[in-house]
Amino acid sequence: MALTQISSNKCFGGLQKVFEHDSVELNCKMKFAAYLPPKAETEKCPALYWLSGLTSTEQNFISKSGYHQAASERGLAVIAPDTSPRGCNIKGEDESWDFGTGAGFYVDTTEDPWKTNYRMYSYVMEELPQLINASFLVDPQRMSICGHSMGDHGVLICALKNPGNYKSVSAFAPIWKAYDATRSQLDILIDQGKDDQFLLGGQLLPDNFIAACTEKKIPIVFRLQEGYEHSYYFIATFITDHIRHHAKYLNAWKTPNKRISSGL
Amino acid sequence: VEEESGQELGLDRSTPKDFHFYHMDLHDSEDRLQLFPEENTRMRKEVVQAEMANESRGAGDGKAQRDLQEEVDELVHLYGLEDDHELRDEFVDENMPRTGVSEYPPYVMKRRDPAREQRDWRPSGETAEAEDLGFGGWGSAGQCQDLREAYRYTHGRASEEYECYVIPEEEDEEEAADVFCVTCKTPIRAFQKVFDEHKEHEVIPLNEALESAKDEIHKNMYKLEKQIIQMENFANHLEEVFITVEENFGKQEQNFESHYNEILETLAQKYEEKIQALGEKKKEKLEALYGQLVSCGENLDTCKELMETIEEMCHEEKVDFIKLGKFLKAKTDVEISAQPEFEDQTLDFSDVEQLMGSINTIPAPSAPVINPQAPNSATGSSVRVCWSLYSDDTVESYQLSYRPVQDSSPGKDQAAFTVTVKETYCSVTNLVPNTQYEFWVTAHNRAGPSPSSEHAVYMTAPSPPIIKTKEIRSCEEAVLICWESGNLNPVDSYTVELTQAESPEASGVTESVVGIPTCESLVQLQPGRSYIICVRALNTGGPSVRSEPATVHTIGSYFRLNKDTCHPWLIISEDGLTVVRSERRIPARELSSSDTRFTRCVAVMGNLIPVRGHHYWEVEVDEHLDYTVGVAFEDVTKQEDLGANCLSWCMRHTFASSRHRYEFLHNRTTPDIRITVPPKKIGILLDYENSKLSFFNVDLSQHLYTFSCQLHEFVHPCFSLETPGCLKVHNGISMPKHVTFY
Repeated sequence: MALTQISSNKCFGGLQKVFEHDSVELNCKMKFAAYLPPKAETEKCPALYWLSGLTSTEQNFISKSGYHQAASERGLAVIAPDTSPRGCNIKGEDESWDFGTGAGFYVDTTEDPWKTNYRMYSYVMEELPQLINASFLVDPQRMSICGHSMGDHGVLICALKNPGNYKSVSAFAPIWKAYDATRSQLDILIDQGKDDQFLLGGQLLPDNFIAACTEKKIPIVFRLQEGYEHSYYFIATFITDHIRHHAKYLNAWKTPNKRISSGL
Repeated sequence: VEEESGQELGLDRSTPKDFHFYHMDLHDSEDRLQLFPEENTRMRKEVVQAEMANESRGAGDGKAQRDLQEEVDELVHLYGLEDDHELRDEFVDENMPRTGVSEYPPYVMKRRDPAREQRDWRPSGETAEAEDLGFGGWGSAGQCQDLREAYRYTHGRASEEYECYVIPEEEDEEEAADVFCVTCKTPIRAFQKVFDEHKEHEVIPLNEALESAKDEIHKNMYKLEKQIIQMENFANHLEEVFITVEENFGKQEQNFESHYNEILETLAQKYEEKIQALGEKKKEKLEALYGQLVSCGENLDTCKELMETIEEMCHEEKVDFIKLGKFLKAKTDVEISAQPEFEDQTLDFSDVEQLMGSINTIPAPSAPVINPQAPNSATGSSVRVCWSLYSDDTVESYQLSYRPVQDSSPGKDQAAFTVTVKETYCSVTNLVPNTQYEFWVTAHNRAGPSPSSEHAVYMTAPSPPIIKTKEIRSCEEAVLICWESGNLNPVDSYTVELTQAESPEASGVTESVVGIPTCESLVQLQPGRSYIICVRALNTGGPSVRSEPATVHTIGSYFRLNKDTCHPWLIISEDGLTVVRSERRIPARELSSSDTRFTRCVAVMGNLIPVRGHHYWEVEVDEHLDYTVGVAFEDVTKQEDLGANCLSWCMRHTFASSRHRYEFLHNRTTPDIRITVPPKKIGILLDYENSKLSFFNVDLSQHLYTFSCQLHEFVHPCFSLETPGCLKVHNGISMPKHVTFY
C-alpha cells in the first residue's frame, strides 16, 4: 500500500502530516492525519489513535484541538483517521449527518449496499495500525485510543473488545450505550461537557454507563465539565489532560516539568 | 645515668642483647681515636684525682693558682687539647678564685676513650669525697655558661663519634677466613669445619655473618643515638634543676639576711633606748642625791656654826642657853631623798624573741592566681580548675574551695566544699550540670595559709537534650527536629550533628549546625538517604555529651497527626498515624470553641514539615466510611467543615444508598466527578512549586483529580471522619511513578 503524503507542517518541533492511501477494507481512497513528535526521528514512539465524531474528517482534530504541544512534549505520535469511507457513491450515504458519510460508527456493516465499504471497525482495528506500524517509527506494542462522541463509541468497541490491545482509553462526550463490556484493566478518563446539547437531549447517557461500569468494576473517572458543550473548544480545553493520561500508560517518560526527584 | 663496672665494649664481639650504656665524655672537643695504652690511662686516672684533690685544697691562694695553671697545661696536653685554645682559657678562667663566692673548682667531665676503656660515670673526684665537696660544684653563673658551651660542642659531635668506630680487626691469619662459625662466633676457613672443634657447629657464609654483624652495629648505633639524646635531655634537666636550686637558695639567703638584720637593728635600737633610759635615770637620781647632799652639807655647816656659837656661849655663861632649845628642836632631815637601789627594770625582749623565733620560719605564701575557665574543659559533672603561683614561695599544698554560685540572696551562705591538692590544678567531680560554681584557692605551707585568690566562676557543661522523636517531621530535602532542653536553666545554644547512616565510620563525616538558639531546627538534607541525628547543648563550660540519636529517612514526607488539633471524638494512635472515631461520644453541647482544636468538624490535622517542594502521602480508607482527606492552612477555621472555606482543599467520600459519591471541595464548591471504582488507598500529592494538589487511587495508579491552589503559606494534611471508622496514614513513601506525571 503506497502512502501519498498530502501535506506536512512543522508544529511544536514535530511534523503534522496528512496521507492518502488505497484502503483494502474500505475499497476507496482514505486519508488520515499523523503527527510525529520530535522524538520520532530517533526512537520508536508510542501511538495514540484518535477517532473523531460524527461529520468530522481527518482535519478537524488536527486543526482545532491544539493537542500538538502536549503530544510533542510527551513524545506521542497521534494518528487521526477519517470517520468514514468517502466518495463511494453509495445511494443515501449523504442523506443524513448521522448515517453514512461521516458517520461510520466504527463498525463493520453487514448489509448491502454498505458492507463493501463501511467496514470502519476492521479499518481502525487492523488495516490502519498495520499501515502505521510499517510506515512510521512507532512502537506496535504501545497503542492507546481516544475519541470524541461517535469516536468514543469506536473507542469503546475497540478497546473493550480487544482487551490488552490498547494501553489506555479516554473519551470526550462519548455516546454510550449499555455494553456488555468485559472486565477491563483499563483506567478510563472521560470528559463530558455539561452543556453538551447531546447530553441535554438525552442522546448521551452517562449515568447508565457509569452504573454499568461501576458494577463491572471498570475504573473510570468521569468529569462533567461545567459550561462546556460538544465542540472542539471543549476538546481543546481538556486534550492535555487526556494526553497526559495516555502518556502515563504509554510510558512516555518525557515530562515537561522537572518535578521528578532524583531519588526515584 | 648508669654506673658500669668492667664492661668491655667490642661491638663486633658483644652479643646484641647485652648492649650496655656507652660512657660518653660530653665535654669532648675533638674526635680522638687513639687507643691509649693501659699504663697511660692508669696514670691519667691518678693524675686526675690528684688534681681534684689539689684544686679543692689549694683554691683561694696564689700558690694554688700557679699549680692550677700547671695542671691545666698538663690536662690540655694529655687530652690533646693543645689546639683548642678556647677551652683552655675556659679552664683557666674557671680556676681563678673569686672573692666571696664559692670556691668550687669547675666540674670537668672526663673524656672517655672509645675502645675498651671504662670509667666511673660518677665524677672522678668520688674518691675525694672525704675532702668534703670534692666533686665539682657549680660555682657561679659564669661557670654554668661555660659548661653550657662545652655541652654544645658535644651535641653536634655525639652522632659523629661512633661513626669513627673501627671494628678492631681480627688477628691476621695465614689464609683468609671464608665462613663464619656461629657457635664459636669466629671466622674460620671452610676446611676447618671438618675439624673436630667445629664439626658440630653451625656455619654460615662469611658475608652473611658480616651482614648480620653490620645489622647489629646499625641497631646498636641507633640505640646509642637514642641514649645520647636521653642523656642530653637529662643534662638539660639537671641544668634547670641546678639553676632553680641555686635561685631558691639565693632567696633563702636573702631572706635570712634581711631577717637577721632586722633582729640586729631591733637589738641595737633596744640597746640605745635602754642605755639612754639608764643614763637619764642615773642623772635623775644623782641629781636628787646631790641636791640632798648639798642641802645636807649646808645643814651641817649650820649645825657646826651653831655648835661653835653654843660653845662660845657656854664659856661666856650667857643666859641665852634657853634659846638653844628652840634650835635643837629643829629637826634635820636625814632621810635620803633618793633610793640608791635600782628598781626592777627587766628589759622587754619579747619582740626580739619573736623575731628570733621567726627567723627560722619561712613566710606564709602569697595568694595564688586562679585561672579563668578554659573553653570546652568541662563535662556535665566536672570542671578542671587551674591556678598559678606568681611568686617563689614555698608551697606544700593548695586548698581549693567551691560552692554553687548564689542567686543574689546574700542571706545565708551555702557551705563550701574543700579539696586539698598538691598540683596547681584539680578536676572537681560530682557537680550538677549547667551550673555555675565559684572557686577560690589558698596556698599552704608550714607558716600557714596564703590569702585567698580571687573567686573565679566555672561552669559545668549542660546535660544532653532529649530529641522529641515523635515530633520529627521530614521530607526528601529537609528535617524539622525539636527537642527538650534537658536542663532546668537556660543554656547558650544547641548544636545539631548529622551523620549519614549508610557510611557511618567510613567517611566519618559529621555535619554540625551550630549556634541554634531555640529547641528546634530545620536542617537541609539530601534525598534518598538515612541520617542519624544528635543534639548537644552548649554553655560557657563547653558542650554536653550527645543526646540519644534519632534516625531520619529522606524518603517521601514524614509527619504525624497533631493531637492538639484533634476533635474530642477522635482518638489518635500511639504512633500518630491512625485516627479512629468511635461510636460513643461526648455531647456536642460540651465542646467549646477553640482556635487549635476542631470542634464542629470531626477532624484532625497532621504536622507537615514547612518546606516547599512536593510531598506525597497515602491514606487507607474503608469503602463504607464517610471521610474527607486533603490539606488546609494551619489557621483554618476549626468550627467549619473541611472544604467549606477557602483555607482548605479536600476530597470527600460519602456512601449512601449503596452509592459512592465523591466531591472535591474548596470553598464549598466541587466539580462533578464520578468515580466507578472506589479507592481503598488514596494517594495525595502536594506540589508547592506548581501550586497543585492531586488525588490518586493508589491501587489502580489512577489519577482522580487535581486542584490548582494558591498556596501562599504552608499547609498541613487534614482528615475527618463523618461516620465512625478509622483512617490510617502511610507516609515516608517516595512518589510512585504514575504520580510523577502530575
